[in-house]
Amino acid sequence: MPLDTIIQLDKASIFQRDTLVLSDVTLEIDRGEFCYIIGKTGTGKSSLLKVLYADLPLVEGYAKVAGIELADIKPRMIPYLRRKIGIVFQDFQLLNDRSLRDNLLFVMKATGWRDKVAMEERMEDVLEKVGLRTKGFKMPHQLSGGEQQRVVIARALLNDPDIILADEPTGNLDPDTSEGIIELLFEISKTGRAVLMATHDYTLIQKYLARIFKCENGKVEDLNPEHRIQRQNQEA
Amino acid sequence: MARQEDIIVGKRLKNSYISTVVSITLVLYVLGLLGLIVLHAKMISDHIQENIGFSVILTDNARQADINLLQNSLDTKPAIKSTNFVSKDEAAEELIDELGEDFIEFLGYNPLFPSIDVRLRAGYTHPDTVAVFENQLMENRIVKEVYYQRSLVHLINENIKRIGAVLLLFSVLLTIIAFALINNTIRLSVFSKRFLIKSMQLVGATQSFIRKPFVIKGVIQGIIGAMIAIGLLIFTLYTAQKQIPELQAFQDINLLFMLFVIVVFLGIIISWISTFFAVRKYLKIKTDNLYFY
Repeated sequence: MPLDTIIQLDKASIFQRDTLVLSDVTLEIDRGEFCYIIGKTGTGKSSLLKVLYADLPLVEGYAKVAGIELADIKPRMIPYLRRKIGIVFQDFQLLNDRSLRDNLLFVMKATGWRDKVAMEERMEDVLEKVGLRTKGFKMPHQLSGGEQQRVVIARALLNDPDIILADEPTGNLDPDTSEGIIELLFEISKTGRAVLMATHDYTLIQKYLARIFKCENGKVEDLNPEHRIQRQNQEA
Repeated sequence: MARQEDIIVGKRLKNSYISTVVSITLVLYVLGLLGLIVLHAKMISDHIQENIGFSVILTDNARQADINLLQNSLDTKPAIKSTNFVSKDEAAEELIDELGEDFIEFLGYNPLFPSIDVRLRAGYTHPDTVAVFENQLMENRIVKEVYYQRSLVHLINENIKRIGAVLLLFSVLLTIIAFALINNTIRLSVFSKRFLIKSMQLVGATQSFIRKPFVIKGVIQGIIGAMIAIGLLIFTLYTAQKQIPELQAFQDINLLFMLFVIVVFLGIIISWISTFFAVRKYLKIKTDNLYFY
């Protein structure tokens, strides 16, 4: 495994309950790389992402994410894995009983932040990045879908994760807002974080070129492996 | 408009909190009420048992020194609450008062014997214990006879035992019901937050970090519920004593305080256990399985 590989799967099988969804999945993603996962509904895109953040168990094969092996991962280790990953969900998964600032504060407290000044600074920093610095006092239901997705991205950035996993983050958004979200994720990937994004939005894929994995017939295919090689050559 | 909506949402959240506290209060109140009944039943049964006694009939020629020795030895026994010596003359006076005529004048002599009336402590009134006393006393040469109503002692003990067993069974049953009702109320309240719990897990919070605020809130609800239940119990006791003043004779502040401590303890422990396991359930299941509940 090269030094900058942040996600590695080798002959992994992905199961949804007892049903085999994807088999023989082998892929490597580097630090700072932006990748799409495409495929029809039900082809296993979300299941693949769920395995990566340990919401589904890895039944067969090998997987290593941000330095943590996923086979037989102990439940008490899962929170520590998730702190290395920023997750962006289609349905946001915000804590709807508290304001945006409290959403962010919860994550920071849950992940071991203690210094109040540092917490405030970090919160301002990520809200600034997603363009919501003035809306921290609002409740999630008082924001538009695009704004809520931006909060989710801000939340994902709090702990400076190695990887951002985005499960159809633009699925509920209009084309203009979707473009804004993609641009934001591209910018994040340029800061050295790997971004793996499941999507159906082919217009955006054509506009924002990146490496593509396609889920089809129970397999995952790397459609443009040359993209990675080019990137590695550029880095070298 | 949005502000008004926030107020409505806030009110709804408060209502769900209050309804949980009300459920806990009512269950603890019923449990406390049973505790009050058990306490009073125990005090009344002790009172009845301590009125059980026997008379030690002494020989006519018993010397006063021997009588004093016997009475002193009885007074030192833990089973005996009190003794009272009734001389031959006092016994005659009592009987004359009861009969309303002077039987000594009629008979020409006093046929009664001196005696010691003995009252036992509750817990020592079992017929077997009384029989052992009787045998021990009969070995004393100044004791002529030990007199008590065997059938009454037996009957009182049997009834107290039966009532005690029914109350115990009822208490156990009600404690289980209380646990089940509070558990269901809390589980429903946690159930409504199952997706929130899952979201917390997905952003990297540990199980204990997620569980802590839920458990603290549950315990606070338990304490508030217990306090209100105690207030209601005090009011009930006050009203009952006003209606039946005789009940005041059976009031023991220490035992009442202990009952209230038990109500608070049950409120805390049941809420704590129920919240702990309700949250744990949703922490353990996979996101997809949440939709099956």
